[in-house]
Amino acid sequence: MDFNFFNSIFSANLLIKIITLIAILFYAIFTFVVFTQVKVMTQILHLPHINGILKIISLMNIILAISLFVFAIVIL
Amino acid sequence: MPDIFLAPKQNEKRKMRDYANESHVNIFSSFCQNPIGVSFQTQKPHEVIILFLRSHFATNSSWIIFTVILLTLPIIINLLLPLFRIDFFSSPTVVRFTTIYVLFYYLMVSAYAFISFLHWFYNVLIVSSERILDIDYSDIVVHNMAEAKLSHIEDVRYTQSGFIPSFVNYGNLFVQTAGTEENFEVRSIPKPREATDIITELTEKK
Repeated sequence: MDFNFFNSIFSANLLIKIITLIAILFYAIFTFVVFTQVKVMTQILHLPHINGILKIISLMNIILAISLFVFAIVIL
Repeated sequence: MPDIFLAPKQNEKRKMRDYANESHVNIFSSFCQNPIGVSFQTQKPHEVIILFLRSHFATNSSWIIFTVILLTLPIIINLLLPLFRIDFFSSPTVVRFTTIYVLFYYLMVSAYAFISFLHWFYNVLIVSSERILDIDYSDIVVHNMAEAKLSHIEDVRYTQSGFIPSFVNYGNLFVQTAGTEENFEVRSIPKPREATDIITELTEKK
């Protein structure tokens, strides 16, 4: 058996997994920036009902990004 | 007794607001005269918002179409894969990676749509009884605000060119201010002639 071949496949898998997790982590940080920016804009411009909806959407974005990150750690 | 001093301010506010033309601002509003339920951070207690403007909703069509294309792309690729005899789902590892990438892709597309919407939503021009205020949300990490007193406005003009702007009735509005204050330029606002008339009328009163 060619153990080097299996080793290289394993390390390639691991490398892709790490790159994927880093990309999702960066995305999660980015969603947090979006949420902060929405919060700042809602303080500048007060539109009572609409601002609430936008805050919820940006918060959902963070939750989904974190969930994907956890999901990726579990299944990859 | 202190009420005697409050009453004139309320009357003044009442005079400035044209109740016949009041309108509620909803999530897709782009032209609101005497909007109800809108205020901004630096608004003074006696200050009334006369006009609330942002680009026409039709200007969003490019990113909406692009988002729809991006959303349907994985479905089309999935339908085309058997034609090229590519079996993506033969190995469990590939299935796991594909699942994550597809979910990640859809999250990024939704974020792109949301940011594009925010870019449209928070690019606003407000004309109040005292001043004109331009809120710009140019980038996800950049926003800026510019304002000028109505008495400092020297010239208001608009341009409307092209088939779609003429058909849907939107155009660009330019507000020139005196001295070192910033000039304002709002692109693709609905009813530009009406907006110009309202701002001109307000500046003449000042």
